[in-house]
Parts: sequence; structure tokens; C-alpha cells
Amino acid sequence: MEGILFPRGVVEGREGLDAYRARGGYQALDKALKQLAPREVLQEIDASGLRGRGGAGFPTGKKWAFTADTPETPRYVILNGGEDEPGSKKDRLLMENVPHLVLEGVILAAYAVGASKAYLYINAEYKDAIQAMEQALAEAQKLGYVGERIQGKDFSLEIVFAPAPHDYVAGEDTAVIEVIEGKKPLPRQKPPFPATAGLYAKPTAVNNVETLANVAPIILRGAQWYRGIGTAESPGTMVFSLNEEVKRPGAYELPFGTPLRHLIEDCGGGTRDGKKIKAVLPGGPSSAFLSGEQLDVALDHNSVRAAGSSIGCGVIGIVTEGSCIVEEALKIAEFFAKESCGQCPACRMETNTLAMLLKKIQQGQGSAAMLEQFGKVIAFNKGKGFCSLINMPGPPIESAVKLFRADFEAHLAGKCPGN
Amino acid sequence: MKRICLVCQNVDCKNRGSEEIMKELQQNATDKGLDDWEVKPYMCFGACQEGPNVVLYPEKSWYAGVKKDDIADIANHMAGGPDVKRLDTIDASLKELIYQLLDTGVF
Repeated sequence: MEGILFPRGVVEGREGLDAYRARGGYQALDKALKQLAPREVLQEIDASGLRGRGGAGFPTGKKWAFTADTPETPRYVILNGGEDEPGSKKDRLLMENVPHLVLEGVILAAYAVGASKAYLYINAEYKDAIQAMEQALAEAQKLGYVGERIQGKDFSLEIVFAPAPHDYVAGEDTAVIEVIEGKKPLPRQKPPFPATAGLYAKPTAVNNVETLANVAPIILRGAQWYRGIGTAESPGTMVFSLNEEVKRPGAYELPFGTPLRHLIEDCGGGTRDGKKIKAVLPGGPSSAFLSGEQLDVALDHNSVRAAGSSIGCGVIGIVTEGSCIVEEALKIAEFFAKESCGQCPACRMETNTLAMLLKKIQQGQGSAAMLEQFGKVIAFNKGKGFCSLINMPGPPIESAVKLFRADFEAHLAGKCPGN
Repeated sequence: MKRICLVCQNVDCKNRGSEEIMKELQQNATDKGLDDWEVKPYMCFGACQEGPNVVLYPEKSWYAGVKKDDIADIANHMAGGPDVKRLDTIDASLKELIYQLLDTGVF
């Protein structure tokens, strides 16, 4: 299948400058600089319906408009490559394999919002991705696409690298800004939102790597073309991450609306051990479990939400028959308890309490009354943190209890249903 | 059944001296011969700004902002004395949530 980001929808190795130019590379930027005002670039992105690929799915055009409409300068663009979602690899693979596509998106974003400086914020452990982006940046500078008066126009852009710590909250947009300002990765209270008052309190567009990788193709081929791919509310493609649970782990770029079954069976080759699927987390550890009966759900924001979950940043977690959901839920609860930065009391209490309850149940020291406490603890703390981490353990844990109550009851009776 | 004195040992409470408070409550309980009481750490009651927090269970008495000077009064309550009303400042909805949790035996 032809992809928008990866030429054939799968990872095929580093695409150099010549290969990128052969498929239209930097023509979007040439077109923007010659024919389009910054506002027209922004409007095209808005019209395309592009939504953020970092997890929240917020419309990119709307986000950029907040930044562009704030009169203060300088404005900034941040490429958020602080990818630390367990099992996610799409941002790393995009930077490693199609670095010029990512970079052209950064430059177009800066042009659209009127930014004079862009930061490439990349997980410091992603050595190959950083090296690929460094080379791409050097080549783009040589071509005059970065620097003073780009292509002779009244548009100058400086691009610098900022290392991202290997830390889950360090990918949260205000934590990203704190790190670039030389501080610890602690989310800020919002509002103000970064789009209007971000880096050094100036308007800042913070966008995920995959989001920005979509920008150049949209500007080159137009919003109408883009809307012809995917679904009405989720246009375009998404890069899904499959991990060791399947025969062929990897990153697969598919149009939104593709059935989950196609991704797992045709792309991933089915489960590694050939076992039947018991449950799926379609959007990483902060999404609700779907049951093995729901594999025909279409992978787009609305369909996955209607099925009771969320698409997040496209990491597909698979639990096969013979595995215990209590164990899976405990792993998730312990992950969020560990990754909570600890600055918000409610988040600390919630994540620790959920992990403690699940640990008791897993160890056979639980009671039926404990199963009723998850919802109460989650509801009590909902929205009481600076960032959304406080809302993340709720969907997987509540859905686990709802869909797989038998596993919990087995643990209450002192038996693990896993083998 | 043992009665339990839970002393929060999470970041904020610890910063305000809850380790020392737990030790002293333990010592007081021993000195007074309160064999039916167990003084135990707890991981977080969700009232960090008001810590250090101490909860007596199954009495369901929640004492917030506990200082060393308050320990004798709390130990006195554990020994059958009166409630320490001045330390009872926590919001009712949070109390209800935590007491329900404790009722499930999660400590």
C-alpha cells in the first residue's frame, strides 16, 4: 500500500535527500514560499482535518491558530519527539527513516505560525534518530531551507536540538517546555496553554513528530486530496505500532478506518503463539481494553470511542487467551504510579491507591468490596492534576473489571486464571 | 481485631516529619501498653498539603497537620481518651472515600 509518510506504508530504511526530492520533497515548502501566505498554509492544514498524533487527537489547524493569533513574539515551534509511551516506536522510526519529511513539516509549521525558532526535542536515547535529523538539517541548511531569509523571502528560521529525558511525563507538552528551559520535566498548570504562552511564556506550537510529518504532503497535494484518505473525522493515515505479541512486530501506516483485525492478522501475521486474542488495548496503556470479540472495530477516533476505548498514539497492546487481565491491569497501575511525577497530591494518591488495590487482589488478599473502589477513587480524582496523567489509569482499569470480572473473582478466590 | 494507627509516609508528609511522628506514636503505644494497637505506614491519603496525616481505624478519626506536640493527645485517644478535635480538619468527601477504602481491608 502507498503511504503518505513512509513511501510504501512500511519502514524501508533511511530515505536520503535525493529520494525524498524524487517524491516531491521540499516542493511543499517551495509552493508555500512562492504562492501561499502563512495564514493560507494554516488554513490548508485546518481544512485538511489533520489531528494530533501524540494521543489527544486535537485538530492541528486550531492549535496553530491559537499560536499565530497571539501577537507576542518571538513565537516557537517544538517538534515533540520525547516518545516514551511503552511500545510506541512510530516517532523514532519516522525520524530515522524519513527525516526530511519530518523536517519539512517543522519548517512549514514555523512559517504558518510565524515562528523564528524551532526546537527538535528528541528522546536522548534515540541516537540514530538524532543523527538522521542532524544530517537532514545540515542538508536543508545547505539548500537554503533553514536560516536567514529562506529562499530570499522575509522568513528566517533557526533550528536547534534539545535532548529529551527518558521519562514518561517528559513528553507532556508543558513538561517539554520546562525541559527546554533547563528545568525538570514537570507539567505546568493549564491555562495558560503553550499555544498562547509556552516557551519563555511566548506563543509555542508543540506538535508530535507524526503530526508534523503529515504537513508537507498536505500542503503539496491539498486538503481535499488528504480528506480522500481515512474517514471524515479522522482524515489521513496513522502509523500503528505492533510489538512482540505478533509474528511481525513493527510500524504500519494505514488509513484511518482500517479494521483492527487487518492490522493484527494481515500486517502483524497474527499472534506470535497462535493463540486466540482475549483483549486489546488499541491506544496503549491509557486506553480501555476491548474484548477479543471486537477485532472488527475500525481504527479511527470515532469508531474506537464508540467501541468504548481510544486510539491514543496507535500502540496496539494484545493479550492472548491464557493470560490474566488482573496481571495486565496491575502492570498498568504500577506503570502510572511510577511515572506520576508526584507534584499533584491527587495524582499521587490515585495512582498509588489503584496499584495497591490491584496488588492486594493479585496476591489473593482482595475482597469483593475492593472491586467497587476503583471507580470511586478514579471519579474522586478526575481532572485534579496539572496534566492528563491522572485520567490515564481509569480507562484500562475500569474496563478490565467490567469486561473480565471472572479474572478478578478468580484472584479473590486465590486462583490466577493465567497459565 | 487489632486497631490500626496509619501514618502517611509519602513525600509531603515525610518532608514535614511523619517518620519521626510514626516512631513516637509507636513508642507512646508501647509505653502505654496499647497491645491492641498497631502503628503502620500508609502510602497516601490524598491530603498532602494538610499533612502529616494520621488515621485511626476502625475509629475513623483523621488527624491532619500533626506535630510532635500533638502526639501525646493522639496516644491518649488511642488509650481511650477523647478525640483530638483541633486536628479534625479534613473535608468530609475525602474522608468518606478513604474510610470506604480502609473498610475493604487495603492496608
